[in-house]
Amino acid sequence: MKWLVAERRRSLSAALIVVAVVITSLLAPNPRDRVALGVAIVVAIVGVATLTIRGFRETHPVFARATLTVVALDVALFATYFFSSITNFNLAIGAAMSIVLLGLSFLTGASGQISLGNSAFMGVGALAVAIWANHHASTPMVVTLLIAVACGAFVGLLLGLPATRLRGPYLAGMTLAFAVAFTAIVNSFTSWTGGDAGLQLPTAVTPPQWLSSFFNAQTSLLRVNTMWLADITIVVTGVAFFFMANLFASRTGRAMRLVRDNEVAAELVGVSLPRARVIAFMVSSAYAALGGALWTLINNSVSPPTFSLALSITILSLVVIGGIGTISGALIGGVIYAYSTNVISWFTQHTGINSQGNLASQLPGIVFGGLLILTMLFAPMGIAGAVRRVWARRRVRMTP
Amino acid sequence: MIVVEELSVSYGAVQALREVSFRAETGVITAVLGANGAGKTTLLRTISGLKEPAKGTITLDEHSLARQKPENIARLGVGHVPEGRGVISEFTVEENLRLGAMMAKVNLSDGLEEQYQRFPVLGERRKQHAAKLSGGERQMLAMARALIAQPSVLLLDEPSLGLAPQVTAQLMHTIRDLCASKGLTVILVEQNASTALRIADHAVILYLGRVVANDAASIIVADEDLRQHYLGKVE
Amino acid sequence: MDAFLTSRIISDILGGLTNGVIYGLVALSLVLVWRSTGILNFAQGAMPMIATYLGMVVFAHRLGYWPLVAISIVAGFGVGGVTERVLVRHLYGKPEINPIVVMVGFLIVLEGVAAAIWSTTPRGIPNPFSPIDWQLGGKPIALSPFSVYEIVTALVVMSGVAVLFRFTKLGLQLRASALAPEVSRLLGVRVSRMLTLGWILSTGVGTICTVLVASNFFTGLTPQVMDGIFAFGFIAAAVGGLDSPVGAIVAGVSMGIVLQFVGDFVNSNAIIITALIILIVSLMVRPNGLFTKSTARRV
Repeated sequence: MKWLVAERRRSLSAALIVVAVVITSLLAPNPRDRVALGVAIVVAIVGVATLTIRGFRETHPVFARATLTVVALDVALFATYFFSSITNFNLAIGAAMSIVLLGLSFLTGASGQISLGNSAFMGVGALAVAIWANHHASTPMVVTLLIAVACGAFVGLLLGLPATRLRGPYLAGMTLAFAVAFTAIVNSFTSWTGGDAGLQLPTAVTPPQWLSSFFNAQTSLLRVNTMWLADITIVVTGVAFFFMANLFASRTGRAMRLVRDNEVAAELVGVSLPRARVIAFMVSSAYAALGGALWTLINNSVSPPTFSLALSITILSLVVIGGIGTISGALIGGVIYAYSTNVISWFTQHTGINSQGNLASQLPGIVFGGLLILTMLFAPMGIAGAVRRVWARRRVRMTP
Repeated sequence: MIVVEELSVSYGAVQALREVSFRAETGVITAVLGANGAGKTTLLRTISGLKEPAKGTITLDEHSLARQKPENIARLGVGHVPEGRGVISEFTVEENLRLGAMMAKVNLSDGLEEQYQRFPVLGERRKQHAAKLSGGERQMLAMARALIAQPSVLLLDEPSLGLAPQVTAQLMHTIRDLCASKGLTVILVEQNASTALRIADHAVILYLGRVVANDAASIIVADEDLRQHYLGKVE
Repeated sequence: MDAFLTSRIISDILGGLTNGVIYGLVALSLVLVWRSTGILNFAQGAMPMIATYLGMVVFAHRLGYWPLVAISIVAGFGVGGVTERVLVRHLYGKPEINPIVVMVGFLIVLEGVAAAIWSTTPRGIPNPFSPIDWQLGGKPIALSPFSVYEIVTALVVMSGVAVLFRFTKLGLQLRASALAPEVSRLLGVRVSRMLTLGWILSTGVGTICTVLVASNFFTGLTPQVMDGIFAFGFIAAAVGGLDSPVGAIVAGVSMGIVLQFVGDFVNSNAIIITALIILIVSLMVRPNGLFTKSTARRV
């Protein structure tokens, strides 16, 4: 009995696991489901138990982040099992977008620079995947994605070279020019890129046999496929966030924040400004390319005109609204992106705006632009920053 | 005449001036002395409106100056020659003067002529960019630019800073002359107390934002204690 | 002589000049705002666009071309002034990205509002100048009454701005406010008004440019009419140096000509790509622009 009290956490976890396993075995229709459900619950409980160990985050920061990622993935993957195809599709698009947002958030938050060309970097990744898949259909997906990331980083390096000597407004303008030029670049290599029409993937991404066999005959193929795509995207997103969280906390990340806050001080302590800037810019482009590559997989095709300046501006809006330079802000932005269309169409329905009219078609731009201005003026750290501030204030109030 | 009463100014938590009161009479040079960080520059910046006071009043004749915009105070005839001279180096000498003459009631070419007569070297270099002037020439340009507006009050912040002794002496002489001939109210901020006391009629000593002495220059020069305490050595 | 005037090279130069003065005007309007308030205005295309709609479309049924142009310009002044007072004022002294982000937001709000009210269908603006090229010996020279109108207007505006800045009291105050705001205030310059005036002037110049672009028979007025032109204008301003009005104009005009050759001898896709390369190379060689005197920006 004494032991139970002393090892409260362990005994609580064990009890929870037992209860969960019992419930699943009663609820789940067949043995495979029981196993899957059981594993998911055990992972979640063990993960949460580990994370709540006092001092664990401080002593093992990388391991703590990994655990957090695993728990988040576990919950998210589990959830996709229950979602409809449309929800899973939106989720996948939003998750891929959150990777792009994270990249820009890092660039802006860690180095104080801004890019209006991230849609074009997404396009680079999106096209890279499609072009590669059309020439080497048998390459494993992970490799294809890495190739897309490498392409994004390389183009980022090319454009980032002058950025080593530039300050904010010049870089923003230059990346804007890149976004505007993107369509022309794509159209200059039509035989590769397919021009404005874009490319189809030769084969759709489909789940492996063992996953398909989970489902009974009534489950539609579409549902299984979108779920699989959502799962892939979520896992990749998890990995991308994990890397970024470590980068934020690393020496490089700290050096970059120093560059943003005080260039002179950064140079004094031996940070190479040009290098820090180029790295930040490359990371941001690589992340954008990864997000774009996932879009190609999700849509099974790529349409270059999607990657317009307007998309870049949407990306910027989402990062700012979510919270510049925060990891949670990128996630918030991704969720907003996934559901903004729904919310806005709900809004048009309930306010009686003609859904075919000019106003309805322009509403997303006006709303995003308006939110962008308001956020920057009144809550420059976005939703994540605002939440953090409220949190901090409560904490102060609670400790007298 | 400028009357400063109970003036308090702070930068965040730091109080730069604490209930400072003094008057600067017309036709008189009032020196404001004190060590670095005593609040001298803050005092001038508050009089000319660049800094908003927390408390207190500043009056120029019948106008209240505190909390007015600097451009309006300038238009009331207060000329401020800031520390580090503040000439616009991208402008030519003449453009600097033209900018100064903007609110002058006199005709521009007469004003320019007057300043070129007073400072011949500026006349010689009128088409040159101010960036090319020497330290002393820049100081003259800053003075000329303030004078061309025909001010009734002249606020001078460390005019001798970085100048050779000879140039300083010449400059002080010019200030003395101007004050006498135009009936200007001059407030002269100096760290170099001996230079200032040589030409000032009246002196105010600031120490950590407070007025510790406010008397005729001759009395302050004679007060051994005061000088040693607050001004360091005065030859 | 006739054969020379209608030759491909002269055609490209003339055609490039017509585009170039437009780029130069956009670049000039960017420089005006940059110099006075240190902000790169990403809504520099959209603000004049709104003004042009207000002027050219709202009263189009009642008035002729010239009164409409006048109304547009006045609307441009108004849009510039109100934007500075209401929106931009809060951004001075903030981190560098804040004004960029806000002006980008303003750009899409304005374009969205314009499209919501006036739709995205291009509107032709009838004007007294024929868009058809003059002929010499049966061959066209790349110059029409309309392009002469464009070039002359742009030159008049550019010299007007130059005269204002060089020779007037107002110009002196505008320049002083940009270079040394505190000192200017000590000399009685109403700096805050000068900043507003900088935006008013800049949007005015932008509006004249937009009216020219929209009056072109082959483009017409759309909410996004200035998007592409803004990109070229920015490139010109950055190449010439955001601090230098002369640099902006020279870079704009020469870029127009170079790009016309590229479009003619390579293809139309190569135009913006070449512009991007010019930008990247020139920023690597001279990050502060070819025409800026100081080599390093003050920290």
